[in-house]
Amino acid sequence: MLTAVFDAGPLITVCKFKSQGKLVVDYLLSGCHIVIASSVEEEVAVRGAGYPDGVAAGERIARGVIQVAPVAARKWARHLADYALGDGEIDSIELCGQVAGVEALVTDDYLAFVAATRLGLKVWMLPDLVLELTQIGNLAVEMANVILYTIRPRYRAGVIEHSLVRLQEVKE
Amino acid sequence: MTLKVVVPVEERVLQAAERRKAAGVGEDITQFLAELIQLGFEYRLQQLYKQFEAGEISLGHFANKLGLGVRDLYAALEERGLPTSNIGARSSIAGS
Repeated sequence: MLTAVFDAGPLITVCKFKSQGKLVVDYLLSGCHIVIASSVEEEVAVRGAGYPDGVAAGERIARGVIQVAPVAARKWARHLADYALGDGEIDSIELCGQVAGVEALVTDDYLAFVAATRLGLKVWMLPDLVLELTQIGNLAVEMANVILYTIRPRYRAGVIEHSLVRLQEVKE
Repeated sequence: MTLKVVVPVEERVLQAAERRKAAGVGEDITQFLAELIQLGFEYRLQQLYKQFEAGEISLGHFANKLGLGVRDLYAALEERGLPTSNIGARSSIAGS
């Protein structure tokens, strides 16, 4: 099973939006192991506990289906110091570089995307993960299509459209 | 939700509120001051959103600067119809 480190933004999105009565996170969890930093848990499930998605994230963390991992070392502290990043983004990048078997960092944030890419990490936006799961057979094409339309309001123009074209290519 | 807090206000701002009340433009000084605070928050949010939109600051940094948690900022952007991702074309640019 594919393992990905999630930043706060995508985690909120997957715990908030539903497709056919089921949270997007649960579709992803059947084909993907999600790991988050403690600071992301704090941002989404603790400080966000007043939102249904914060509760949903907290339940899945409590059940162990979303794993919270500590940042053991800060090998990129100096590299990241002067970017205007938040704690969750910094910790997610560090975590991605130290948890064994992590395929990619999932973030929808431009600065985190650029900083992590420059550190040599594989970085995906959430729609890229949806597509990847489809490509490896862990998510049905039809469901990926529904999920992409469901999460579309959270994205700027071009992002979901790009993924839909790629999804069409997977179909063919 | 509205909370009551004690906020120091400059003399000239208070005088402006009193003049408005005297002129019959506004009746409640507290309401006027509350509107000013709300406008200040909106202005700061829009300023920071421009930086976020341009990719200069991350969502987490944006939340810190505004004094909100990331989840509260996500909700604030959603309420205003603004994307929470800053990758991709801006709506005003897309398709042009």
